Amino acid sequence: MNRGLLQRAGFIVALILVSAFVLTRIPLRLGLDLRGGASLILRVKVQGGSIAEQREVVEQTRQILVRRINAYGLSEAPVQPYGSRGNELLVQLPGVNDPGRMRNLLQSRAVLEWYSVEAGPFADRSEAMAQYSGVLPADGKLIATRPVRDGEQTWYLVNNHPVIRGTDLRDARVGAANPQEPVTTFTLTQDAAIRFEQYTRAHINQRSAIVLDDEILSAPVIEDVIRDSGQIRGARTVAEAQDLAIDLKSGALPAAVEVIQEKVVEASLGADSIRHGMQAAVAGVGAVVAAMLIYYRWAGANATLALALNGVLLLAALACFGAVLTLPGIAGVVLTIGMAVDSNVLIFERIREEVRAGKTAVSALASGFSKAFATLVDTHVTTVVSCAFLFFFGTPAVQGFAATLVIGLITNLFTSVCVSRVAFDWELSRQKGRRELSIGLAQ
Amino acid sequence: MEFFKNTHFDFAGRKWWFILPSLVFLLAGTASLIIKQGPRYGIEFRGGALMDVLWDGTPPIERIRAAVSERVNGASVLAAHDLSGSNEVLISVQLTSGGDLTSLRQTIREALSSTGATFSIRSFEVIGPEVGADLRRQALLATGGASGGMLLYLGWRFRLRYGVAAVIAMLHDAFITLGLFSLLDQEISLTVVAAFLTLIGYSMNDTIVVFDRIRENLRTGTRESFIDTVNRSINQTLSRTVLTSGLTLITALSLFFFGGPVLRGFSLALVIGIVVGTFSSIFVASPILLAWENTAARWTESRISPQTRGAQ
Repeated sequence: MNRGLLQRAGFIVALILVSAFVLTRIPLRLGLDLRGGASLILRVKVQGGSIAEQREVVEQTRQILVRRINAYGLSEAPVQPYGSRGNELLVQLPGVNDPGRMRNLLQSRAVLEWYSVEAGPFADRSEAMAQYSGVLPADGKLIATRPVRDGEQTWYLVNNHPVIRGTDLRDARVGAANPQEPVTTFTLTQDAAIRFEQYTRAHINQRSAIVLDDEILSAPVIEDVIRDSGQIRGARTVAEAQDLAIDLKSGALPAAVEVIQEKVVEASLGADSIRHGMQAAVAGVGAVVAAMLIYYRWAGANATLALALNGVLLLAALACFGAVLTLPGIAGVVLTIGMAVDSNVLIFERIREEVRAGKTAVSALASGFSKAFATLVDTHVTTVVSCAFLFFFGTPAVQGFAATLVIGLITNLFTSVCVSRVAFDWELSRQKGRRELSIGLAQ
Repeated sequence: MEFFKNTHFDFAGRKWWFILPSLVFLLAGTASLIIKQGPRYGIEFRGGALMDVLWDGTPPIERIRAAVSERVNGASVLAAHDLSGSNEVLISVQLTSGGDLTSLRQTIREALSSTGATFSIRSFEVIGPEVGADLRRQALLATGGASGGMLLYLGWRFRLRYGVAAVIAMLHDAFITLGLFSLLDQEISLTVVAAFLTLIGYSMNDTIVVFDRIRENLRTGTRESFIDTVNRSINQTLSRTVLTSGLTLITALSLFFFGGPVLRGFSLALVIGIVVGTFSSIFVASPILLAWENTAARWTESRISPQTRGAQ
């Protein structure tokens, strides 16, 4: 046995040990389609401004959304830029089955303003206009209340300049009032508290309006001087009051957002998909290994060894890159198995040709591998080229598939060329006298 | 074990035997695509809702269909078919533009409740119409880009004519698969597009192995005609081609049978693509290369021969 062979075998064994170590330390992360959860695509409605400014708005929105999701209690829920337009965000919420509440939590702009009411209530807009004979006071504006269940609204004329805004808040939380009438309490920053105290002192027994996203939540009468904390009524449920607190605490969005795509997968369906994927992999690999052993004899065992190592290396590489295994990703793995087999078949057929042409086992092996290698490079590079386009133009699911396939192609080139070569050399080095290959050829 | 040993099939000479069935499939596919006005795109490409519903007992398909089309305004139930063996129903609803995405889930849930059977929604997806249009554009860009990239690579590694022949064979495979999907009334979903891109790579793979051998045989420089070289190369690689296709077909079939409903379209495209791709690498790509070579030879001959005759 020569030293070169030992070195190569040692390298392969070391690589396997590293891969196994990686796999035990870094578990493969599963995508939402396999472990269940909701994903939303949001469009940020940026208006005007340069591209850099628009990008800034989208990034601010992203950070505020992350804060909101974290405040809600979901820690591992990334918000990523999505698509080629630059104004779309992908929100992934593992374990969330009904995203209705999250949708409201994320979609609400949460622009809070506290106005002093000049006049009202009015039954509708025209009644208010009639009172001012068609021309509103210069510093006033009309705002409607949030519609109640039957769509009824009342209107108030408020002073144009809000007393306090959302940015004046230091904290917001759900008040411990009775569940029939949930409230959100807030505390103000020092500056705002001084301003608010002066305002409430001067306006006792007058009406004020708490406005959220251009709708009046409530229009309370100021009963006493308020300093640094207050209450917001008008939420219909405790959950809504909670969400309002989260939204206020996380800050208002610089632009409106809308949900343009929504996907929910239940955890049980994900488990089914994993089971199906495993079944397909076991059936496919089993059939392929059986066929290789029958057709190629010992060489088939080499190919099986290469296949198994390919699987380990591929999974370890995926774990290393922090790749998320999705259903299309599993399909990519299964497909990689198919392509790995192709490489082995290509090499084995070439060796057989060389043996038939009368070459000795050693030289047939050498020329078989070197001739097949040129073809392997061409086939692998073309597939990588097409995967590159999948990666650039595809959606995240398709990108996962392409990435898996590319990593699989690289590990495949290594295992089919290096690992099975070492296995063959090992087989030959153990023989004495006239050396022969067991590659399924008739004697 | 050896299936093929020193075969001498005259593939190139009998090319019409094989091009004919290929043409039949192409024409049938085209006819189906024209009659059905294009491929049946999945909901991902058109905008709407897609849900996987598990029923307690056999799902009442007809009542589901009726209830959903009645409740959801401006929408039509596209497919509500039982997935074989399970009590799962895939419901896809297309939305006319301007439909309300947010309340759709609730509306469909109410519609399903009205059928009286118990059910649970296992997955739910709503896609806005604009997203769908984006996806279509992306899929086209990916396919076009991948074809162009592979053409360039092959043009550089071999010669332009090899690249062109390989890309035509690949388009042939993609088109036949598309046609068969239309004939079988299968939906083109996003995962099916991924499968198409895979089979494009696969078809290329097969063609490259044959072309590689042709190039190698040309280099050794025996005095045989180009058609003989092509024939010899195909025969030499035949064993590998059949074996690989068979083994890859096994993996694709295992995906088809065990991969579950979500991967069914994907694996069907692969199964068709592998069969057609193997066929085309032998019977489509090589004849195109031969035809190009012959035309080029005749063209050079017609330009040179008058002078050579004059010199004699």
